[in-house]
Amino acid sequence: MTLLRSPGRLVAMVAVLILFVLPPLWLLLSALKPQAEIFQWPPSLWPEHITLENFQKTVSRANFGRYFLNSAIVSVSSALLSVAMSVAAGYALAKFRFKGDTIIFLLIMSAVMVPLQIVLIPVFLVLRDLGLLNTLWGLIIAPAATPSGVFLMRQYIVGIPDSLLEAARIDGTPEWRILLRIIVPLALPAIGTLLAFNLVWRWNDYLWPFLIINQQEQWTVQLAIANSIGRFSINWPRLLSMTVLSVLPMLVIFIALQKTLMNGLMAGASKE
Amino acid sequence: MSMGDRTQISETGRSAAGLLRLAGRTSWPYLLLLPTVALLFAFTLYPLLQGLWMSLFRRGLVVVPQVPESIPVFVGFDNYLKLFADKDFVLSLVRTVLFVVVAVPVQLAASLGLALLLAPQTRFNAVMRTIVFFPSMISGLIIGVIWAWLFARNSGLVNYGLSLLGIPAVPWLEQDQLAQAAVVVAWVWGGAGFNMMILIAGLTAIPKDLYEAAAIDGTSRWRRFTRITLPLLEPSVVVVVVLGVIGAFQVYEIVVSLTTGGPGRATVFLVQNIYDTAFRKPNQAGLAAAQSGVLFVILMVLTILQLRVARRRG
Repeated sequence: MTLLRSPGRLVAMVAVLILFVLPPLWLLLSALKPQAEIFQWPPSLWPEHITLENFQKTVSRANFGRYFLNSAIVSVSSALLSVAMSVAAGYALAKFRFKGDTIIFLLIMSAVMVPLQIVLIPVFLVLRDLGLLNTLWGLIIAPAATPSGVFLMRQYIVGIPDSLLEAARIDGTPEWRILLRIIVPLALPAIGTLLAFNLVWRWNDYLWPFLIINQQEQWTVQLAIANSIGRFSINWPRLLSMTVLSVLPMLVIFIALQKTLMNGLMAGASKE
Repeated sequence: MSMGDRTQISETGRSAAGLLRLAGRTSWPYLLLLPTVALLFAFTLYPLLQGLWMSLFRRGLVVVPQVPESIPVFVGFDNYLKLFADKDFVLSLVRTVLFVVVAVPVQLAASLGLALLLAPQTRFNAVMRTIVFFPSMISGLIIGVIWAWLFARNSGLVNYGLSLLGIPAVPWLEQDQLAQAAVVVAWVWGGAGFNMMILIAGLTAIPKDLYEAAAIDGTSRWRRFTRITLPLLEPSVVVVVVLGVIGAFQVYEIVVSLTTGGPGRATVFLVQNIYDTAFRKPNQAGLAAAQSGVLFVILMVLTILQLRVARRRG
């Protein structure tokens, strides 16, 4: 085994394991401790009394179920919307020549240069004017158009042979059927990748909900977490358990789609 | 083949239905693009222009007729000139630049080390890569929480580790430079796996026979690294650096949960300063828009740089 070939390598491996496993594991172990044990010094490395007390309190008292549901509704809807839009736009850019096609492509791609961080104020005003403030609709619609999604779909659909589309057209197949019956089934691998990415992006969104939502019933998981951090005091038992719960869906997606997510990244999906 | 040719081949010919179909086909790609273009216009391009326009006014975030200070007054480039006298802005800009200058090289070194260690295709390495990559799946907010808990003064694992070595508790998040270092650590940790994957892709693309030839010539491992690996890995390194710089200029989320900008304002970076100016200070929306304008120019230059590098790379 190459691992044992040199002691330096072994030491490095152990260091990497500690650095990357311990931080999240420590969070999980701490969340499983009763309140008194969380702050005990010296800390118990392994919980002396494993309990779900913190989780129960978070779910029952902190209304966490509501936030979890909001996050789920928003990420699933927004991901589906985003994928549908990206397939449509990517297909148009991959398979049609029309007036202004290059300009539209460049326009879409140039949006990469404008992260939400630098348009916070005007975006806030647009959301207000469209009546999207304090609605889950705002969280679903506002982030749905992603240049990287359009680009990914365009690159994939370009590879679908034109002859398939032409044959369908000669048969008189309506355009919408060509899209739904030929393009979509053939682009399923890319659609799956993009859907997974969108779920992760939207679940992790903080800035959008921060801008859009201020009513507590509409908080997402990330907002609930941010709001439980006071400048001078933090309710650690609650924060730790919330954090663990918020990571679980991502852990499931990651375990299920690990290859897709890690390699899709290389395909140019980048960080959005 | 253009749309028109295709219609003529089709059996419908020039009947009314055929004309309708022709019109439908010409507008079809536009229809497909409409939702994406509309949303990008509403939430990206229009706000960008609106923001740049706003930066030329003195105004409130929301215009309230009863509050005269909130009504927009054209001031030209005054806001931009004012920025350089604005201590909060200048300091947050300096802090952000310092953060970029420190965090990006540290992250590059960490990602490169991880990539070299975990590039060989073994089952064990595949598992290790997955573990190292995992932080890329969680939000900056959560990464901040994880490290805030590790750096906690009286209950954190870091100080516990130090206490085992006989070192007294370090107030990580309570002193300016220590808190800034903590943000760097958390940021590097969160992004290292993502960048490692970019670098591993680059490493795998280097032809094996180059190393074999060098080994036959008896070239030392270090020379093989500096003469073969580094030069051939350069394109991937550039991608990591440019993406890193762009990301680091926008650092904010991780700070929300790790330090909330403190102690004092020691970890308030550009984005948080923009937000505070717009939403916390009365009638300074124009000034905040000008700060966004400065950040936009920085990011635009960096993105164009990235595109040029990507093109050179082919």
